Amino acid sequence: MSTPDPARAVAKFVLPNPETFFKAQARNRRATWRMSALCVFAAFVMGIPLTLVLTPLLYALTLVGADIINYFSPLPAEFWRTVDSLSSTAYRAADYFINNRGALDTNELILAAVLMLAPGMLLAFVLWMGMRILFRHGGVGGTLASLSAREPNPSDLKELQLADVVQEMAIAAGLPAPRLMLLDTVGANAAAIGTSAADARIVISRRLIDDLDRDQLQALMAHMIGSISNGDLSIAFTVTSVFEASGLIVALINAPFGKQSRKTLWRLIRYAFRGGGRDAQMVDAGEVADLLADTLDTDNSDVDQFFNRQNGGLIHKALKAIFFPFVITNAAVKMTLWAFTQILLGPAMALLWRTRRYLADASSVEFTRNPEALATALQQLSEDNNGIAGAGWASHLFVVNPKGDTSLRGAPPAPARQEKMLDAWRSTASTGYIPAARTPDADSTEWSRGRLEMMDTDKAAATGNPMAATRMTAFAKLMGSTPEFGFHYVPDPEDYEAAKRGDATAIEHIRLLKEAQARDERPSTASRRDGLQSQSFLSFHPPLGKRAKRLQKMGSRLMAPENQYGFGLKIVMFLLYLIIIPAFTVAGLAALFAVGMMIMLNLMFLGLWLTVIHWAFGQDWAGNYHGFMKVVDQIVSAISSAQHRR
Amino acid sequence: MFLYLLIVVIVLLLVFLYKTYNGLISMRNSLHNAWSDIDVQLTRRHDLVPNLVESVKGYMSHERETLEAVTAARSAAMQTGGDIVSRGVAEMALGNAVGNLFVKVERYPELKASQNFILLQEQITSTENRIAFARQHYNETVRQFNTKIAVFPSNLIAGAFGFTEEKLFEMDAGERANVAVKI
Repeated sequence: MSTPDPARAVAKFVLPNPETFFKAQARNRRATWRMSALCVFAAFVMGIPLTLVLTPLLYALTLVGADIINYFSPLPAEFWRTVDSLSSTAYRAADYFINNRGALDTNELILAAVLMLAPGMLLAFVLWMGMRILFRHGGVGGTLASLSAREPNPSDLKELQLADVVQEMAIAAGLPAPRLMLLDTVGANAAAIGTSAADARIVISRRLIDDLDRDQLQALMAHMIGSISNGDLSIAFTVTSVFEASGLIVALINAPFGKQSRKTLWRLIRYAFRGGGRDAQMVDAGEVADLLADTLDTDNSDVDQFFNRQNGGLIHKALKAIFFPFVITNAAVKMTLWAFTQILLGPAMALLWRTRRYLADASSVEFTRNPEALATALQQLSEDNNGIAGAGWASHLFVVNPKGDTSLRGAPPAPARQEKMLDAWRSTASTGYIPAARTPDADSTEWSRGRLEMMDTDKAAATGNPMAATRMTAFAKLMGSTPEFGFHYVPDPEDYEAAKRGDATAIEHIRLLKEAQARDERPSTASRRDGLQSQSFLSFHPPLGKRAKRLQKMGSRLMAPENQYGFGLKIVMFLLYLIIIPAFTVAGLAALFAVGMMIMLNLMFLGLWLTVIHWAFGQDWAGNYHGFMKVVDQIVSAISSAQHRR
Repeated sequence: MFLYLLIVVIVLLLVFLYKTYNGLISMRNSLHNAWSDIDVQLTRRHDLVPNLVESVKGYMSHERETLEAVTAARSAAMQTGGDIVSRGVAEMALGNAVGNLFVKVERYPELKASQNFILLQEQITSTENRIAFARQHYNETVRQFNTKIAVFPSNLIAGAFGFTEEKLFEMDAGERANVAVKI
């Protein structure tokens, strides 16, 4: 990887089209509206195929129910006539669309469309509203509320500062101060959870407050409180409830076939009828939401397990044969949900959520008037490990992607830190190593020259120059941890020597350092349970680099790293896109086609299934039985008489 | 037809009146709320100052004048009434006195290093910040309110119901710079 030339990066420093935070806020609010419209459109588009799967299922269940009732007490003839005429309309509509045969008048067409679309849409809408009502007291981020958190300790300076800056920012926003939940985790991150500004909480890790100074912490808390005061909690709630409703649909289809979904549904019902305080409800809601998310996520659902089980008894085999169409239905629902959330609804919601993040950044600047503090805080977070264990469903609520975001790594540090580094660097010159002078660029600055020196010395140290190593170590000691260079995990050479001699404290030093390194490195395998993130190929978190760039427009002096693509690379990228975009389009169309085929198959099998069941209910089984027995009797008597004759 | 149109127009007007009037009232209430926020924070500072004086007295026996100035400024600030302008001036004086005290503290390293003082210093810093942010919020709310009652068409209703412009809460800009407490 080539390092961007720091000299040029600093020299290029001019404010590119500055923007006040008021303008930024207005722009992001408009963007939110656009993205909301996109989300509604996406939900509508996704609803059509989904309802094509769900509606026939509803009809099938109704018809089977009617058949059963009819068997015991016959339903009025009127009912069956209506069913007959409706099904013939549906049949003719299908014939018209698929085989281009026959003719339909407009009324019939509208009737067919309504019959086909309305019940499924209504069902989806009712379920969604139900989820909203059910979870309205639980809010978002209940999973996080169940993590073991504590209140800040007022006799610890850092935690007192945290409590103070939250109070300050709440005052700046004119809101009641949210409750603080401090997590003692290794990851540095923070999230706002709750239902509204009145009962919002901020979940924050101790690691985060250790890594930031007061101003940075203030800016970050201003982001959280800005997000709360902008009403992000209710937006997040709407977003999650859509996915919860999808999970519920899958669970309902799976429920007859396995314990897993039944357990989820039972848990949901228990949640619906329980009282308890706000806190308990929030935690409870989080658990249920997680279960629903799992239903949406699992590759091996109850239906699949039911039909894949080989060692079932006779009853199981019979049930398998009878309920075979549900395999198709389940697959169709899951495929539709998957394809459309991945390429349409998920990205739309991710983009919507991103506008809220940018808006909260602008609000942070409004409250603190200090864009640089936020930008440097984000840079620090970019260097840290951001994972929070057990975040699950709520990962999109965090201020930085818990999977980590390295897009701000290697940006030149803010001017104050540059000065500090340069001072520390100059003071280590007495250790003896001074790298060979380079011919200075025309636009080089003190910082860029210093940084080049540092990098040269670092290189020399890495290739075994002992004097360079001594200087780097001295420098590292002065700076504490300097994430700008990769040597903050390199043990002190003296410690190495001592450890070779068997010094216990030196060994302990090295061990602790290695442990810290292991802790800070990002988890190599992402957890499967990353909630909404897995429902969209676009991340819910805007890249830190972009956020820094927007903060730069508002006056931050932190340089966001520029893409250093040359002209040649640009052409290559262009050609690559030229190939990738059609490929993705084709893949998307193929997915749509597969979904379409699945829906058709589902319809066909369901139709067959219904015909068989309806036929079975229409038979006079008792009469048939007597008739059959009569035939058997006749055969038996014929045989016996033949024997007699012999 | 004309009658219907008239009814529609009247209903729309009533809705507009209702919306604007309620909006103005709620804005004025949040403005008063913001003002009382400042008040709360100023009181917090008044409560913290004796603590501060108490905890530094032992170390700073040679700085009696500075300490007395702080105490005097505090009681002066506590005695001003509700008038926004005189209140601002008195609070500014108190802020300056506290800032001055912190400058003097620089000369006493053992005081600066004491855990108690560090926590107290953070509280004072935060209180200064809170006052500043409460003022920022108050002034922002006042700005919105004053804009609202000045622009068409809400100015018609504001004028009819006697809404008047509110004053900004001003403190000397120098005040903040003096109190900037480095930790």
